[in-house]
Amino acid sequence: MRIILNAFSFLRDKLRLQGIAHIEAPMEITSPCDVHRLISLLGLKPEDVEAVFINRVIMPKETLLNENDRVALLPPGTPGSYRLMLGIKKV
Amino acid sequence: MADKIYRVNMSNLSFKIEEVPASWMGLGGRGLTSTIVAEEVDPECHPLGPNNKLVFAPGLLSGTSASNSGRNSCGAKSPLTGGIKESNVGGTSAAIMAKLGVKALIIEGLPKDAETFYQLHVTKDRVEFILVPELIGLDNYAVLEAMAAKYDKKVAVMSIGRIGEMRMNIANISVKDPGGKLRSHGRGGLGAVMGSKKIKCITVDAESYKEVTIENPDKFKEASKIFTKTLQENPISGQGLPAFGTNVLVNILNEAGGLPTHNFREGNWEHAEKICGETMAENIKARGGKTTHGCHAGCVIQCSQVYNDKDGNYLTSGFEYETIWALGAHLGIQDLDLIAKMDGLMDDLGVDSIETSVMLGLAVDAGILAYGDGARAYELLSHEIPTGTPLGRILGAGTHILGKAYGLVRVPTVKGQGIPAYEPRAVKGQGITYATTPMGADHTAGYAVATNILNSGGHIDPLKKEGQVELARNLQIASAAVDSTGMCIFVAFAALDDAKCLPSLIDMINARFGCALTIDDVMNLGKNILKKEHEFNIKAGFGKADDRLPEFMKYETLPPHNVTWDFTGEEIDAFWNF
Repeated sequence: MRIILNAFSFLRDKLRLQGIAHIEAPMEITSPCDVHRLISLLGLKPEDVEAVFINRVIMPKETLLNENDRVALLPPGTPGSYRLMLGIKKV
Repeated sequence: MADKIYRVNMSNLSFKIEEVPASWMGLGGRGLTSTIVAEEVDPECHPLGPNNKLVFAPGLLSGTSASNSGRNSCGAKSPLTGGIKESNVGGTSAAIMAKLGVKALIIEGLPKDAETFYQLHVTKDRVEFILVPELIGLDNYAVLEAMAAKYDKKVAVMSIGRIGEMRMNIANISVKDPGGKLRSHGRGGLGAVMGSKKIKCITVDAESYKEVTIENPDKFKEASKIFTKTLQENPISGQGLPAFGTNVLVNILNEAGGLPTHNFREGNWEHAEKICGETMAENIKARGGKTTHGCHAGCVIQCSQVYNDKDGNYLTSGFEYETIWALGAHLGIQDLDLIAKMDGLMDDLGVDSIETSVMLGLAVDAGILAYGDGARAYELLSHEIPTGTPLGRILGAGTHILGKAYGLVRVPTVKGQGIPAYEPRAVKGQGITYATTPMGADHTAGYAVATNILNSGGHIDPLKKEGQVELARNLQIASAAVDSTGMCIFVAFAALDDAKCLPSLIDMINARFGCALTIDDVMNLGKNILKKEHEFNIKAGFGKADDRLPEFMKYETLPPHNVTWDFTGEEIDAFWNF
């Protein structure tokens, strides 16, 4: 299935080194695939990704991806209050 | 020498150096400036009249070796909001004032001669009143040059440009930073208050000061080491901010549907990539700028940067997310270099880059310019406003007055102050802070987190109401507490993740003054300050109706989440139940 991949801040350099497109980039993956598996497919470590937006909402990494999902990966580094307000970190 | 209160009266050009009242002893930064304004300023006074006071106070740890302790607080009744205002800044003034023994500088009265402007020169024993006709009509960098020629190069300088002289609501007070660039007491029109008192600049002597006294140096050193380590090891303050600055938030807010676009009509901007922190960092590296830069000595976070043009020439520093958002997604300028040029110009002119840029975005609705017309925006900023043309005066009065003057309904302000950078409908906790903070819409009012009073309740859904009032209350109390220590608010990021951060900060305060404060004491200080500021506003005539967001946010749905602002008045008012 196809997803649209975005990655922010430090993740960009890590993906660039591997030649993986990461700005509004269509990506083919096999189903079923959750976010944990996607992180692994991208050659990233679990701790590289603090949170994930799926279709513009922060979702658990256990979430199974669907065809045409918009996925954006966030590394640690989002300023504190917004980590709470956007639902990245538990209150 | 113990710290003193330096009190200046501009009506008769006199000064007094006073003992610190016992009730002010444990206060610094916002805690002290807001207390002085609340106790000494008539809430019903005209902000530009003789009964307003302009108060500066360094933080409790300013002047020490504590990391990130170099913030100076400025307070007054705001001409923009009509309520109490506190705005704090980096630069060199806080440390130098603290080392000189200035606990607070209180400026009252107005000079009789309306045509004059003064420089106040603060030394250890006196305040000099110096007529400066040669500085009238100059902007901030020219004032810095003149003071550099006159004094030791380390002299602290706080100044206003032409717009402050004209007492426009967008005027800020600019402060020299360690690199000779400018930082700002930005929000609330404090530069207009300084202009009303006919003060062009304040200089603070950097030659006669002594190091601040530490009651328990060993304990201070130990706590300071722990505190610094928590900042350096935190992924936000130690890595994210130094690499991308606060502008790391463009892509995140855009992805969340919370990047206000075209005057709060949408929550995404298709051109966000052109202005985001990642693009900014790439430009800086390619052009020989600096991705890390501290706004004050002793900063270990270094979230600021030096941004150059394609030829490697300086454009600006301290290039913040909120300004980039306002000129970018809000006004539609896609050229990050032009945004940087405007940011640098706003430093020199001495205007609040948030209020000014939010106002320029609203000016599109007024038909004054078109979205993305950077050339026209630059002309308004560089000509109409600083030369005080009739249009410039309306623009310089800020977002709220521009909306009134042009009969606009969709005016993004709370208590007369422009809403920055975070869409309240899509980030509802931020909306509660915008509605309730005594400062008018201000993102920094709810920036810190007090984990010890945070109820454990899982993840917040930014699109839903549940838990938002409690979260915003917690954020504002903690922010008021951190502001009152005089620390940079960004130390709060480490405090959220590292249990050692906040205790080590309190330990440093205790070692500095020989006291025994607890975390609860400091958080209670935050609560007290917040309530004191709220009470001032009520006495100034504010009511519950002022704790509300613009009405259009209740009936216009915001894409992409198609959400509205759906809090009832009673739900918002519950914020003050503490």
